Amino acid sequence: MLELKNITRAYELGGEKAGAFGVSLSVPAGCLAVLAGPSGSGKTTLLQLVGLLDEPDEGEVFLEGEAVSRLPEKARCELRLRRLGFVFQSFNLVPVLSALENVMLPLQLQGIRDEDAKLRATEALDRVGLSDRLEHRPGQLSGGQQQRVAIARALAPKPVLVLADEPTASLDHAHGGPLMDLMVQQCRDSGVSFLVASHDPSVISRADLVFRLMDGKLVATESTKVTA
Amino acid sequence: MILARLALRNVMRNRRRTILTLLVVIAGFMSLSLAGGFMAQTFDGLSQAAIRGGIGHIQLLHPQALEGDEGQSLEFSISDGEALASRLREDSAIAEVLPRIQFMGLISNGPKSVAFLGSGVDPVREPQFMAVLDSLKDGSKAKGGAGSRWLSTSSGSRDVILGVGLAKSLGATVGSSLTLMSTNKDGGLNALDVEVVGLQDMGLRELNDRVLTVSLDTAAALVDAGPTRSRLSILLKQPEDTARELPRIQALAGKAVQAFPWFELASFYKQVKLLYLAIFGFMGLVLFLVVLLATANTLLMSVMERVREFGTLRAMGLQAWQLTSLLQWEGALLGLCGSGLGLILTLVFRLAVNALHLQMPSPPGTSHGYELNIHFVPMVYLCVFIGLQLTLQFSALFPGFKAAKLRIVEALRHV
Repeated sequence: MLELKNITRAYELGGEKAGAFGVSLSVPAGCLAVLAGPSGSGKTTLLQLVGLLDEPDEGEVFLEGEAVSRLPEKARCELRLRRLGFVFQSFNLVPVLSALENVMLPLQLQGIRDEDAKLRATEALDRVGLSDRLEHRPGQLSGGQQQRVAIARALAPKPVLVLADEPTASLDHAHGGPLMDLMVQQCRDSGVSFLVASHDPSVISRADLVFRLMDGKLVATESTKVTA
Repeated sequence: MILARLALRNVMRNRRRTILTLLVVIAGFMSLSLAGGFMAQTFDGLSQAAIRGGIGHIQLLHPQALEGDEGQSLEFSISDGEALASRLREDSAIAEVLPRIQFMGLISNGPKSVAFLGSGVDPVREPQFMAVLDSLKDGSKAKGGAGSRWLSTSSGSRDVILGVGLAKSLGATVGSSLTLMSTNKDGGLNALDVEVVGLQDMGLRELNDRVLTVSLDTAAALVDAGPTRSRLSILLKQPEDTARELPRIQALAGKAVQAFPWFELASFYKQVKLLYLAIFGFMGLVLFLVVLLATANTLLMSVMERVREFGTLRAMGLQAWQLTSLLQWEGALLGLCGSGLGLILTLVFRLAVNALHLQMPSPPGTSHGYELNIHFVPMVYLCVFIGLQLTLQFSALFPGFKAAKLRIVEALRHV
């Protein structure tokens, strides 16, 4: 489903070279994979390359067999809109929109009619246990609830891959664990692949695949419960 | 429409800042609209003064009449003026044709003689179409004077109405007997005794010091005009058709005369209009600049506050041009709300000011003030609205481009 071939993306950070160097990996469909490693190991860099937010210096990203990393900007936008979902560490919900409207937003950007978008967004929020918080704005929700809205927003457009950057980093342990359980459940239920960047053991322990990174290089791949 | 809805929410996000921006737009709308209404009142007043003051909507003149001074009376005149006037009166578009004899000379009370500019007018038709009666002053207020009246319609009378300044310089009042002296059209000197029947205030001091009005018969007798007339003032049934009717009336009148629209002959009107357009044009430019800078600042600040949000939207698949559109929508909404509120407040303010019947001071060179009556000119409101809307769209361009140029990965890291 997702394949990275010899990806390199280098940049200067504090006078030293950082980024990702010659990384090759593969994530099958319906799999929850984790990019694990300490800060500066290249997790976020790889996530941005897979999310088509940045271009690799070398190598190629294949999404469902299609080379996507050097597509024109418009095509990359379309891919992000229709086939990728994003979950950010700081939730990044639009503060002026309600939970429901936040989830509806990517659907409306796809051109889906308001009524249909509302229905799908309501279902998505119901799946993450927030059917009673539809009209709440992000400021009226807890961190865990906001991240659930972010997951619903990522899943509502029915992407093939959801990218999550440190999704539990802004949450305490009591909320982080259940959130990961929710992601695992969504992964199982909907067949969507998740690629999560994290150094949180509770996240890594729930993964099907773990890619260990160190100084921008893939040092180990651990397959725990691959089903695909 | 999702961008429009999102823009509306964003505009409502920081209400205090939005209100301040709206106040700038409202102030701009009110200032420009009210100034436009005031200008319209001024232009309307000046045009009516020119048209009803003697020019008419269209004036027929000898082709050389405007080129230089006449060597003698009626040198550049319409030889069959009365006949031409009669013919033109039959045209369906023409309400009236007023023949005039323009002449100059000396007016004397015996010991003192003063130069004058005289007009011979039709005593019957002139008051029906021109504002001559409005300019009559109450002569009884002058020492020993009786009340002013209009020129007698009987052909044998020798009445004269003097400009108030001219009467003052001669010490004349209503009832005074004076002598007019002028050259006839053959160059000979002629004189005529006249009786002052009224005083007139033309609104301009220079005119009041020089003008006098007599009947066409009196003027014709003084300058031996016969059927010759200096000019024919034409009043149209549909004044707004002046420019369209001009070539037709020119063709109707023949090549011996030349037709001029009132706005080409009213030099004072033209000068004041140009002056006002320059003053208010500059003022408008400054106001548009203020609105531009204020709204650009607001939108730029809102962009800087939403960098990560824009990064998120871009990551979700929003195209760069859609971010520019979002900012354009925000500018458009600010403009629509500001102009809408500005329109309401302008109309209320206009009604209130007009209800006060404020008296404006005399404009330079004129002898009396006027009542402030700010006109409602839909075209001015529309132009101000469009101008402000374009200004706001323009002010949203730079913030929009800035938002569109953000690198997504950097925007997502922005704190």
